[in-house]
Amino acid sequence: MWAYAVNLAVLISINAILAVTLNFILGYAGIFSLAHALFFGVGAYAATFVAMKFGAGFISATGAGMALSALISLALALPALRVRGEYFVAASLGLQMLAITVFTEWKSVTGGIGGLTNIPPARIAGFEIVRPEYFLLLALISLVLVTLIVRALVRSSFGRSLKAIRDDETAASTFGKNVAVIKTVAVVLSSALAAVAGSLYAFYLSFINVESFGLETSIQVMAMVIIGGTATLIGPVIGSILILLLPAALSYLPYLPTTEIGSIQQIAYGLAMVLLMIYRPGGLWGFQEVPKGSQT
Amino acid sequence: MKDGILLQATSLCKTFGGLKAVDDVSLSLRSGIITTLVGPNGAGKTTLFNLMTGHLAPDGGEVTWLGKSILGLTDWKIARLGIGRSFQDLKLFAHMTVEENIETVTERSSWLWQPGGATGKRSRKATVEAALVATDLAGKRHVRAVDLAYAERKFLSLARILASGARLWLLDEPASGLDPGSYERFLSLLRRQVHEGVTICIIEHNLDIVQGVSDRIVFLDRGRLLAEGDPKTILSDPALAAIYFGERAA
Repeated sequence: MWAYAVNLAVLISINAILAVTLNFILGYAGIFSLAHALFFGVGAYAATFVAMKFGAGFISATGAGMALSALISLALALPALRVRGEYFVAASLGLQMLAITVFTEWKSVTGGIGGLTNIPPARIAGFEIVRPEYFLLLALISLVLVTLIVRALVRSSFGRSLKAIRDDETAASTFGKNVAVIKTVAVVLSSALAAVAGSLYAFYLSFINVESFGLETSIQVMAMVIIGGTATLIGPVIGSILILLLPAALSYLPYLPTTEIGSIQQIAYGLAMVLLMIYRPGGLWGFQEVPKGSQT
Repeated sequence: MKDGILLQATSLCKTFGGLKAVDDVSLSLRSGIITTLVGPNGAGKTTLFNLMTGHLAPDGGEVTWLGKSILGLTDWKIARLGIGRSFQDLKLFAHMTVEENIETVTERSSWLWQPGGATGKRSRKATVEAALVATDLAGKRHVRAVDLAYAERKFLSLARILASGARLWLLDEPASGLDPGSYERFLSLLRRQVHEGVTICIIEHNLDIVQGVSDRIVFLDRGRLLAEGDPKTILSDPALAAIYFGERAA
């Protein structure tokens, strides 16, 4: 039971990092990206690659994943963010689909569908983190660090610019804000920080394959943010806890056949999203949407 | 600055489908005065603002700022030259507080930091405070824009332009819907700003307001500039009044 709880807590921490970093662009800048799992995957593959090929420790492997994620996100953001929101959603979806093909076909680096196995344990200052409890500590420290970085960003002038763009892009540019550059920087930062989750994931499971980095993951992370509360620091963490605890909680219900838990889980997510959109559009922890008619 | 002209629009044209929204309009905005654009709905007033501020690209014509062409510049680059504008629907940053709405317009850098270090920060803070005081919004600094009363939202839209340091203010129906008390405060704010060297161009429908604030009036109809001059001359012209009140000849 203890091992199960620790495992769940590690996975919640990793997913919370993804949700916090997606919320940075979705909640604070109004950028809807369906490619967040791609940067999760890039972080995982890049960290694994440098760890297996060059014997890199956790910090340098994570740094490599962050750098590569930042570069790839720049390639997405530069053309796509010059246009308005819906085009970015389409572009990010296209990139996510493309990434799946690359992850599947580039077998020499990603291991294809079979994935990569025997990833060495995370090593920091010569100390190998093998025990799940220590890895949980590492995941929690990473979550706290990423959250603090996002907190500092959203409270800075850059964060105010993001919120201004989210609330009214035309007004933001009317007041001299270079919207395309600000959005691009935000996407690059978000993607680089999402790679931290990828690195943690790879080192924790010591196995990765393409299935973890698909569109379903991107949508699940978006659900965590929306259910927990957009434009808040705590909301995405709450969303991650709820979404990862739900299947665990369902599996304890005695009258549910275990084969149906997956379907029931999907129904529960869908229902939760619909109810939230109607009754708490800002999410469980988020700000309440403005009543109709009072919008400026 | 040639002849005191800050912004010059020459032979501007804009067509939407088959409709000529702005048709060969030339307009000079002179420094230190309030120019008012009047005309019936659909006259092309807001489109003219959009053409002058880079929100729309004209089909023909030229726009200069201090004698240099600004045609083809993006809206944010034009804003950085010192041209501020408001919108009929205000376009406030609805979920940001009053203070944040004003603070963010003083922060022009697109990167993670603002230039000027601590001195720059102090200077921006002082600008925000001055704008809050000038618009009587200091007591509402922590209120979200969306939670303000209508007149307060109007003043917040002015506070943003004030804090942005714009030399030219283009205001789209800034006084519409204001109660008499707010209207007096609005007039006083505009006069104070003009006295301090700001140039203002207003789109306005209320002729009492037009008469009350304008140094010069430009009359537009169906995309064309029909007349310009001092308020007394323009407002007493029976032909223009007929057009304005929809009594035009078929």
